[in-house]
Amino acid sequence: MNRYYLYLVLLNMLANVIIFVPKILIEYRYKGAVMGILIAVPIGIVLNYFYTKTITKFPEQGLPEITADSKHRWLKILHLGGFQIIWFSAGLITLIGFIDILSRFVNPEMPKLSLLAIYLAAIFLIIQLPTDRVMYILEIVLFLNLPLIGFIIFKAFTNEFLSWDSILEVGTHIFERPSLKSIAAATYCFSGYANLIIFNRVIKGKLKNWNLIVIFFLGLVNLFTTFLIPIGFHGSDGAQQYLYPWISTSDSLRLTYSPIERVIFLFLMFYMSITLISVSVHWHIAFELLKGTFKEKVSNKKNWLVLASFAGCSIVGVIFLNALLLDKLTVYWMIVRLGFEIILVGSFFFWARRRTT
Amino acid sequence: MKLFGKWGWMVIILLSIFLLNGCGFKDIDKRFFVVSIGVDIAKNSPKKYLVSLKFAVPSPSKDNPNEFAIVSESADSMSEAVRIIKTKVDKEVDFSHAKVIVLSEDVVKEKGNAGIYYWFSRRRDIQGIAWTAIAKPSALAVLKVNPKGESMPSNALLLSLGKEGSETPYVISEFIFDMKYKLIERGIDPILPIIEAKKDHFEINTVGLFNKSRMMLTLNPEETKILNFLRGREEKSASKVTKGNTTIVIDTHKVKTKYKIHTPRGKAPFIKVNVSVEGTLEEATRRVPNENLSTYEKATEKSLNREVEKVLVKIQKANLDPIGFGLRYRSRHFNNDDWEQWKRIYPAITFKVKTKVQIADTGLIE
Repeated sequence: MNRYYLYLVLLNMLANVIIFVPKILIEYRYKGAVMGILIAVPIGIVLNYFYTKTITKFPEQGLPEITADSKHRWLKILHLGGFQIIWFSAGLITLIGFIDILSRFVNPEMPKLSLLAIYLAAIFLIIQLPTDRVMYILEIVLFLNLPLIGFIIFKAFTNEFLSWDSILEVGTHIFERPSLKSIAAATYCFSGYANLIIFNRVIKGKLKNWNLIVIFFLGLVNLFTTFLIPIGFHGSDGAQQYLYPWISTSDSLRLTYSPIERVIFLFLMFYMSITLISVSVHWHIAFELLKGTFKEKVSNKKNWLVLASFAGCSIVGVIFLNALLLDKLTVYWMIVRLGFEIILVGSFFFWARRRTT
Repeated sequence: MKLFGKWGWMVIILLSIFLLNGCGFKDIDKRFFVVSIGVDIAKNSPKKYLVSLKFAVPSPSKDNPNEFAIVSESADSMSEAVRIIKTKVDKEVDFSHAKVIVLSEDVVKEKGNAGIYYWFSRRRDIQGIAWTAIAKPSALAVLKVNPKGESMPSNALLLSLGKEGSETPYVISEFIFDMKYKLIERGIDPILPIIEAKKDHFEINTVGLFNKSRMMLTLNPEETKILNFLRGREEKSASKVTKGNTTIVIDTHKVKTKYKIHTPRGKAPFIKVNVSVEGTLEEATRRVPNENLSTYEKATEKSLNREVEKVLVKIQKANLDPIGFGLRYRSRHFNNDDWEQWKRIYPAITFKVKTKVQIADTGLIE
């Protein structure tokens, strides 16, 4: 099903708000973020192209099944282990970031760990499900939430306080030398394709090329929306002062005649489910890959051991990482992620070509 | 493991959530909702500011729904004041409904109040969409006004600052997030409406113009209206023209403003401002025949040209930029020192105002 592939890419595009992508881009707005975005789009599309081209040679198989009979053990470990760490940490950053947002804006008096406990319970329920069920949950969540986010973006674009002059002012810095950090952050929006590593199990038939065209336009619109709307509201000079540019932007929107006047609560409600499913998808992949690395069939005990370590990592993360530190770490994580992705896509592509010919 | 199945474990985990302590949430009857915040300069006190919070008092009867309480405290900073006010009330102070922020004239005229302006944005529980205004004679006086027919405390202010209630061209309303945006953004300066407290009503028809740190200039009602024309935010308005011994009033329903900054090589830079107004004739002291309407249009254009230019020059003389010409210049130039260039250009720039008035209708009679 081709639309499942789009959902996976779209999920990352939506989750980028939580994982500090707008914050990083806005920080480099005068130092090459615009050019960085323009460079990131072709990089993202090329990675998408090669990965989907390669993985459709193995219909309805995840990576553990594909590499089950491979003799290249190093490749297997690199793929299963590398992606596992990257995807687990992606989920972890999203989760810790959103727990921080929740405790800041929704319930400041509640301890963070109990917020985390609620989230972990729901996430663990989802990640143990079979892959196709996770996919269905993703479809339902997107189906329920997309109209809402569309409405919020429409409201933002038509708001009289959106200053197009500020947006254009940032646009005039297009010829600055792009920075690696902004490119790395911007490519995150396209890296949803890597979810296919497991979710290829549910994709039937070949992935067609029109998907790439859709992703190209979606990604371009998404990146510029995510980057420029906070600038339009908070200024080319002022937007970088905000820790969560999009949360503050949604707080600047007003729905005069709706039951809830402040858009921030709509926005947070929407992102509660998006974050939940985003973390679940990432951790589901990490979980399945981890199961793939074991040689024999995974026992129940091992299952719980893995889940306990996931929980332990997130508890440690919530305790020791505050939002400022997390933001700094994420910048470097983005660069590592981009490098890893390129290596993995490249090695997988050549390995698959040698194997099939 | 054998004791429960997979789902049994899940149920246990979910159930254990109920064991988590739920002291995080305070009930609504243990909260005291702030509806508006006022900041004054403290008098006869060593402290700098006098911060007043207006609380909505939930009343069981419908007879006086706008009952309120004001608690004030003088302190050197906002957070100190709020901390001390917390000791004066019995319930948790909740800012999530604080929708009006008034700063007294003395506060905004002084330098070095950035800490206050930023405090509102930094607090997570104060809305970005809280209306901000200057209070005259003092913030406390504005908070104390108890207008008739108010259905909840501070509602009258909300309605007149927002566009839901009365719509007039004399009010330029401002949100706190937009004020912060303009305090930082190079090339556009903040404007705040001035609320004057009368006995049991408010008067909002003037504005105060800020530079990046304090209020520099106030505009009278007519100038405020012209500024509103130029910002293109409010279209319902009226303009009065006298020609010969006939005075007519045009009720406008469409005002569009466009401006373009021209910097020709070797010549003095100028800003071309085009204002197009469309309206109906609302009142005339004498009979105005339909054939002569175009001459009245011409007369209106002339007087509007003069008025607009006067306001623009007045603002320019004070070296303020509430409309955002500087930002427009920055956004159209690709070089990095465009802001420094603009700072040299702006004091000497000339305005070429061109208005186009169209009287589309004369009402029900000729």
